[in-house]
Amino acid sequence: MNTATATTPATDKAAAGAGRKPIAAGVGERARRLLGAAFAALVGLFLLAPVLVTIASSLTTTSYVTFPPKGLTLHWYAELLNRPEFLDSFLLSIGVAAGAAVVSTALGLAAGLAIHRYPFPGKSVLDRVFSSAFAVPTIVLGIGLLQWYAQLGMASSPLTLLLAHLVLTVPYTVRLVLAGLAGLDRSAELAAAGLGAKAPQVFWHVTLPAVRGPLIAGAFFALITSFDDLTIALFVVTTDMQTLPVRIFNYLQYNYDPTVTAVGTVMVLFAAVAVVIIERVVGVAHLFGADPEQ
Amino acid sequence: MAATARIADGPALRPDGAAPTPKVHQPVKARGPWRTGLLLASPAIAVLALLFIAPLFMLVYNSFRTQAGDPTLQNYTRFLGDSFYRDVLWHTLWIGALTTLGCLVVGYPFAVYLRGRSPRARNYLSLVLLSPLLISMVTRAYGWLVLLGPKGPIADGFHAVGLDAPKMLYNDTAVVIGMVHVMLAYMVLPLMGSLDRIDPALTPAAKGLGASGWTCFWRITVPLSLPGMLAGSLIVFSLTVSSFVTPAILGGPTVKLMPYFVYTEATSNLNWPYAAAIGFVLIVVTTILTAVYARLLRGRGGKEVFA
Repeated sequence: MNTATATTPATDKAAAGAGRKPIAAGVGERARRLLGAAFAALVGLFLLAPVLVTIASSLTTTSYVTFPPKGLTLHWYAELLNRPEFLDSFLLSIGVAAGAAVVSTALGLAAGLAIHRYPFPGKSVLDRVFSSAFAVPTIVLGIGLLQWYAQLGMASSPLTLLLAHLVLTVPYTVRLVLAGLAGLDRSAELAAAGLGAKAPQVFWHVTLPAVRGPLIAGAFFALITSFDDLTIALFVVTTDMQTLPVRIFNYLQYNYDPTVTAVGTVMVLFAAVAVVIIERVVGVAHLFGADPEQ
Repeated sequence: MAATARIADGPALRPDGAAPTPKVHQPVKARGPWRTGLLLASPAIAVLALLFIAPLFMLVYNSFRTQAGDPTLQNYTRFLGDSFYRDVLWHTLWIGALTTLGCLVVGYPFAVYLRGRSPRARNYLSLVLLSPLLISMVTRAYGWLVLLGPKGPIADGFHAVGLDAPKMLYNDTAVVIGMVHVMLAYMVLPLMGSLDRIDPALTPAAKGLGASGWTCFWRITVPLSLPGMLAGSLIVFSLTVSSFVTPAILGGPTVKLMPYFVYTEATSNLNWPYAAAIGFVLIVVTTILTAVYARLLRGRGGKEVFA
């Protein structure tokens, strides 16, 4: 094979792309690798740039946002302590997001199991609605919910916000659970049952571990979706009850100082901590083990 | 529970007659899987019915009413009869298409690159990919505001090499850059799923039969990743045309898209029926376009993605 790769460029190219460990890696192979790495680095920079800029410019000594920052100070973080409204909003946001994550994971597991293995009336309709819930514009859902809540006479509260967020998150958790169940080898369950395991034991020891990754991924998606949501929240919140994204959005209508980049940095750090925890518990790879398309 | 129910349904699967747990599956069969299914699905059904179907129904209903509550078509005739609003609609769809295209162009090679990496490298790169979703969209958009601004680092880069920096803020470019940044993960994740499902033996087999690297890519990888492409594009397009915050911040006063008018009609002008009509037009047009797109891609050999 080595002699073949050395002789003609065509077979050289073929062997290089074959994904085997190249014994005698050609120049084309090395160039391609470098090109790939450079491209990935560029995409990485593109993805991280706004975060890096936000963190960096929160340290500026100027009273306006600038990058690169001029001088280094933690003044804007100290300034945050004089603004309890940001802390209140943060607590509200994280409370609603945690609630949405827990509830939508439970609902997603139950509905996923139901759709995957039980025949019941309206099942295909349910499956279809879950699929289309992705595609409904959030802004439209926001205005719809505003009018619907008004019709019902429901005043804005953290609960109405949590309920609103379920619409955004449950389709994700259902889809993830379904993907996990689709990948589960039924023979493992049958074997467990065949060996005398009772139904709850089969569920706990065979079924649940198989969807553990999708469940945690679903909870994680739900958490960030709810925490990040501004579009729906804008329609549901009041001046007294503002989630952190709403607070920042409103603040930025009239102010443009580094306080906001300090809040942003704190939020980034918070998210980083959450990711590290997930990495420790299941591994972030599990988030991507199930694919949200199925 | 599920497993035993299945066993009870299919004793024919075990022709040797070895059914060691008759006591377990008997009562499950007696109750029937129907009720279990409905019971399990009922909370999700309630959420969908009360918080998704009902609000959308309310929205459609209101869009055919005047503010006083009388039936009317004036909200739609006002929208469709005004070239200003029709232009807004085209502009919104155009931004959605550009963003989808941008995500494909950037995301496809990125997903292919991720496919060949070690699990460890994949992990880190996936984290980077998801990072835009981890921070508030407001913070994210303001990061771009600084980056793309006339005194930002990109403009500085242009000046450093003696060029005039192009205007990058408060126009379509800014909005598309900001949207691709947010949406990239939604494109790459389904693509990775699709690429992972391709039988790794196919490409070497084709190469063994004399196909070049490019031929393998165009004839094997691309067609087999169509479901991922389709799923990613549908999600990106739908989410983009309904995005309010990123276009509002990065588009400034010049780029006003459909969601902006839904928002201002509802909150500033307090014209709920008109806001509802604009929103409903957006839903209908998005649904038609995504259905056409899905059909086109499926016709090209992509399999069913959404059952």
